[in-house]
Amino acid sequence: MILEVKNLQKVYGDKTVVNIQDLQIAAGETVGLVGNNGAGKTTFFRMLLDLIRPTQGEVLSKGQNVMQNDEWKNYTASFLDEGFLIDYLTPEEYFTFIGSLHNLSVADVSDYLTQYTEFFNGEIINSGKYIRDFSKGNQNKVGIAAALMQNPEILILDEPFANLDPTTQIRLKKLLKEHKGNMTTFISSHDLNHVTDVCSRIILVEKGQIIKDFKTDENTLKELESYFSA
Amino acid sequence: MLSTFLDHQWKSFWRSRSKGGNIAGQIVLGFFLLYFLAIAVGVGFGMAPLLPKIFPNQDAITSFNGIILYYFALDFVMRLQLQELPTLSIIPYLHLKISKSKIISFLNVKALFSAFNLWPLFIFLPFCFVKIAPTYGAFTTLMYLISILSIMVFNNYLVLYIKRKSITNVMYTFAGLVIIAAFAALEYYKVISIMKGSDYVFRAIATHPYLGFVFTIIAFGIFTFNANFLRRNLYVEELSSKQEKKVSTDYAFLNRFGKVGELAALELKLILRHKRPRSAVILGFFFLFYGFIFYKEKAINADAFGQMMFGAIFMTGISIIIYGQFMFAWQSAHFDGLLSNKINFKDFIKAKFLLFTISCTIITLLASFYGFLSPKLLLLHLAAYLYNVGFGTVVVLYLATLNYKRLDIKKAATFNYQGTGATQWLLMFPYVLTPILIYVPFGIMNKPYWGLIAVSIFGLAMLLMRGFWVNYITKRFQLKRYKIAEGFRE
Repeated sequence: MILEVKNLQKVYGDKTVVNIQDLQIAAGETVGLVGNNGAGKTTFFRMLLDLIRPTQGEVLSKGQNVMQNDEWKNYTASFLDEGFLIDYLTPEEYFTFIGSLHNLSVADVSDYLTQYTEFFNGEIINSGKYIRDFSKGNQNKVGIAAALMQNPEILILDEPFANLDPTTQIRLKKLLKEHKGNMTTFISSHDLNHVTDVCSRIILVEKGQIIKDFKTDENTLKELESYFSA
Repeated sequence: MLSTFLDHQWKSFWRSRSKGGNIAGQIVLGFFLLYFLAIAVGVGFGMAPLLPKIFPNQDAITSFNGIILYYFALDFVMRLQLQELPTLSIIPYLHLKISKSKIISFLNVKALFSAFNLWPLFIFLPFCFVKIAPTYGAFTTLMYLISILSIMVFNNYLVLYIKRKSITNVMYTFAGLVIIAAFAALEYYKVISIMKGSDYVFRAIATHPYLGFVFTIIAFGIFTFNANFLRRNLYVEELSSKQEKKVSTDYAFLNRFGKVGELAALELKLILRHKRPRSAVILGFFFLFYGFIFYKEKAINADAFGQMMFGAIFMTGISIIIYGQFMFAWQSAHFDGLLSNKINFKDFIKAKFLLFTISCTIITLLASFYGFLSPKLLLLHLAAYLYNVGFGTVVVLYLATLNYKRLDIKKAATFNYQGTGATQWLLMFPYVLTPILIYVPFGIMNKPYWGLIAVSIFGLAMLLMRGFWVNYITKRFQLKRYKIAEGFRE
């Protein structure tokens, strides 16, 4: 198991925002997290990334508690929101910076970015803008591309499809499906179509708890739709 | 309508997120404002007795007349840098059923609410009543006031116009200051005299009071000009400053420090690309002149380093104090990103030390012109420098781990106290008192140079212990990071 969550709880005041007894994610799985607003998805992701201290329990990445050491940062890439972007940099500077953390040279980075020409649609590179001056959709693209660039074993994305135009949504799906290597992907989404399309496993959360956890098949979308319309 | 606008502004001021809670901070702030106000009033009332002393060869009114234009020249340059464009606040109204002219008059009225329009009242009015009124009578006094207020209004709207046209940047402000300084120098060597010119103008008003209206007409002219410009260009994207093409930069000199250098470069960009830290840096350069207040001839001759210590510490350590007081919070917008990326916390802390050391070294080198006053001051600066780099950095970074307040650095620094908490004020005490306490026993024993050596040794020892301090601060950072991150997310 590449990711294990054990008895994880986060309590704010008297409200339990996340309460996950046991969750195991095997290497190579593509897992989708769905749930309404306030279900605790982002809080859960933040705990996976050691950004919030859990009230109880632990997150094990390759068997090691993420709170105890930074080993997981070597193979984990993530993009939750714009707070992950250093928005006063140009995209090139940002990519170079992120690359340098993983010992990629400037040449490596620009080489890597050429395969994203289509994804960026000519709007990101050499735009003469800082990241903060981009639209939300384009900021998303920068964050996602920077995460993928790290060639991670674990990829965590929070609502990656939000704010993206339809073309880019389709391209992103393609990217996530085809990304080579044995990458474990964990994404959350409000778009049931996309998430069932991309993910091999769906986890449905409500009020911080896992309600359902199942493999996707042709009925999954219907099931989810009926759950959310109820 | 105008009153509704102002009412909304009032509410937005009091209800702004950063305002809440923190009464202690606001009280201290209130004191500071009162302090500045008191200084302005003091200058205003002090002018009558002081002017003859500063310019002994001419009567007070001539001197007063002489400084008015100087003041407003300086005022203009400072406004260029610091005055805010009241533009963004109109966005929610543009699409509503409100006529353009109303929105424009709101923008114009709002522009008057600036501290720059307050100082002249306190500085010039008292003298007008105390000296001008008895000499020339009520009508002339009134025209003096009208002239001064007109120049103020003129400056106000001219600067707004220039800023709207985006034909300004820091270099212009700097150039303006240099020009003013050059004129002051020419004045001093009696080549050209602006004071004479200024005096000539105001003499004319004294003899023909109606001439004062010329200023009013000019001020009204620029006001109308500005209003017309607004009417033609009432689009927010055109009114806020224009976008220039941004380029990627690489600071080669930081590369040799490896990952630490990367992080330092990142922070350097943060400073240079945001208004608030940038104005903090510029302020830091202004503080280079702080020494002229502290380094009195008497103190220098008496080797009274204790008295001058505060000035020296403050001046050479200004970058550490000003930038350090909001440490980590500068990065609050992307703090989550920093934590979740593959960044070694130790490197992160080391980068801060590196940046502090570089900036403090530069400032100290710049401040060495005080050596012309007395070479002794260089020794004082060296001691202060070692202290700042060795221990000041540690104090600031330690306190930074106690700071959980988000900072919105996109807003300007002047009169922006968002993110200010008790920590910022507390910072000053241990920072400044430590070296003075070290010095004091030597001062009492009348061994001033030994005192300087003691402070230097202390600083040097702490500098040599930097490895230890880096580990210590890193540990604290690791302990506090969740709380810091949580505070920054709000």
